Amino acid sequence: MKHAVISCLHANLAAVKAVLNDIDQQGIDDITCLGDLVGYGPQPNEVVDLVRERAIASCQGCWDEDIIEGLNACECSYPSQLAEKRGHLAHEWTAEQLTDINKDFLASLPTSIRRDRILFVHGSPNSQHEYLLPDMNAFAALERVEKAGADTLFCGHTHQPYVRELKNGSIRVRLQNTSNNKAEEKEINLPMRKIVNAGSVGEPRHGSINATYVIHDDVSGEVEIKEVAYDIRQTCQAIIDAGLPPIFAWRLSHGFEFAEQAEDASHVCER
Amino acid sequence: MGRKWLISGSPGCGKTTWILNKIKSNQGACGYLRLIEQANNNKEKLPESLIDYTFLKDQAPHLQDLSDCSDTSMSQQKDFLILIELSQSQSPESLEPAELNPYVKSQLESLRLQPDRHLHFGRDSELPNNDTLVFKKLESWSLNLAKRVWDPQSLNTFWFELVNGAYGDVYRAKALMNLPDGQSIFFNWIVSQKGSQFLPLKTVSPPNGRPESPSALVIQGKGLDCIGIESTINHCLLNDALLEMHQTPLRNQQPEALRTN
Repeated sequence: MKHAVISCLHANLAAVKAVLNDIDQQGIDDITCLGDLVGYGPQPNEVVDLVRERAIASCQGCWDEDIIEGLNACECSYPSQLAEKRGHLAHEWTAEQLTDINKDFLASLPTSIRRDRILFVHGSPNSQHEYLLPDMNAFAALERVEKAGADTLFCGHTHQPYVRELKNGSIRVRLQNTSNNKAEEKEINLPMRKIVNAGSVGEPRHGSINATYVIHDDVSGEVEIKEVAYDIRQTCQAIIDAGLPPIFAWRLSHGFEFAEQAEDASHVCER
Repeated sequence: MGRKWLISGSPGCGKTTWILNKIKSNQGACGYLRLIEQANNNKEKLPESLIDYTFLKDQAPHLQDLSDCSDTSMSQQKDFLILIELSQSQSPESLEPAELNPYVKSQLESLRLQPDRHLHFGRDSELPNNDTLVFKKLESWSLNLAKRVWDPQSLNTFWFELVNGAYGDVYRAKALMNLPDGQSIFFNWIVSQKGSQFLPLKTVSPPNGRPESPSALVIQGKGLDCIGIESTINHCLLNDALLEMHQTPLRNQQPEALRTN
């Protein structure tokens, strides 16, 4: 059966509506959301309301967590002082706007959703704030999937959609026993594991201004990355009307994420 | 026998680069003066003059600044070369200095500098045929950034946004920016050329607090969001505590002799 996976909505109502419409047109009614319903975008309540109305199963993203827990929940730094100032501004604005009901809803979201051997998370099984970048060290990537007991891991957070197949994985352990001075060697061969990143609905960072999501066929294992155009002018106008920094509208309309990506791939979170 | 040349042209046509090459190839003493077309009540150097002179002096340390003195001493020297840079928004109608803007003429007279040649970009074949944009009715905005130090990553983002139109249609941007490690970077961008020029100056300040080296930003364009630019700049500049945090490890890496200076 086909199901859709969406992530990183970032309070961009026009983009969310366009993606949900695209999913509906394909007759898919099983949708999973990987979090970051809010943050930077101008319609946090509207987006949370829509996700609740449609009863979309959702994980908690780093922004969702930070809105509840406070700014330092992830204990990490932004890639630059400018990004930090903009992030804090967006955080304060979003926290002010969100209704208590919607805050409670975000607080109630689980950090992961499991369906048999498929796991859905925002960042990685370790944390909502950890990036699983497409070029991450293969061993580390495999470790994240294997440790979580999954065959396929769906994640978001990077805003870059990708499918990564980890083939021929093997882990060799050499254990030195000090009591008898004997070395014990163990090799574990793993079947193929898959990491699927759903990209971002509300804040794309894949070189285009279009929203992205993925469709997964859990029988064939096939994954399709979908790109959906939406009325970006509507969101940009809403950013201006909301009194958010106009630079957010400019960045969104040019396909640049609200906060620039850290050059250091090991950097944990930029919200 | 020396030479006094007036080099004019629109912003971004390549005057400063051409002047630098001329200074580097001259055997004798070199003097430089940058003129403006309109009166400036501020006695301090304008940001664009500050950027150009600092950049040229860094690249050619023997260069003499003629902005506040006459050329009498220089004129006594053999093979001297005085280059007078004039940024113009319109092509002069004549080769003769007499046809120059009255304010420019009065500046030349008060400094007793009468150019024996006037070369204009876009008109004289002796100069390279660079892009010469017609800068009529363009807004110009500048900011003196003396003693300001940038968070390097933020500067990168700001410059990217600036030259890609986030704060209005920028046709030309030029700057000298201070980094916490003491480096001063010359930024140069014009809409008709691909990419920005980033050149670290040879003169590096010690990482001991706020640098004394000049720093400024000059932008020409249309529909400039000056409030937005200034707001972003304020978000990018380091406060004293953060500057200290950047500089402490750098100071510890320096040899003892330099640290005490």
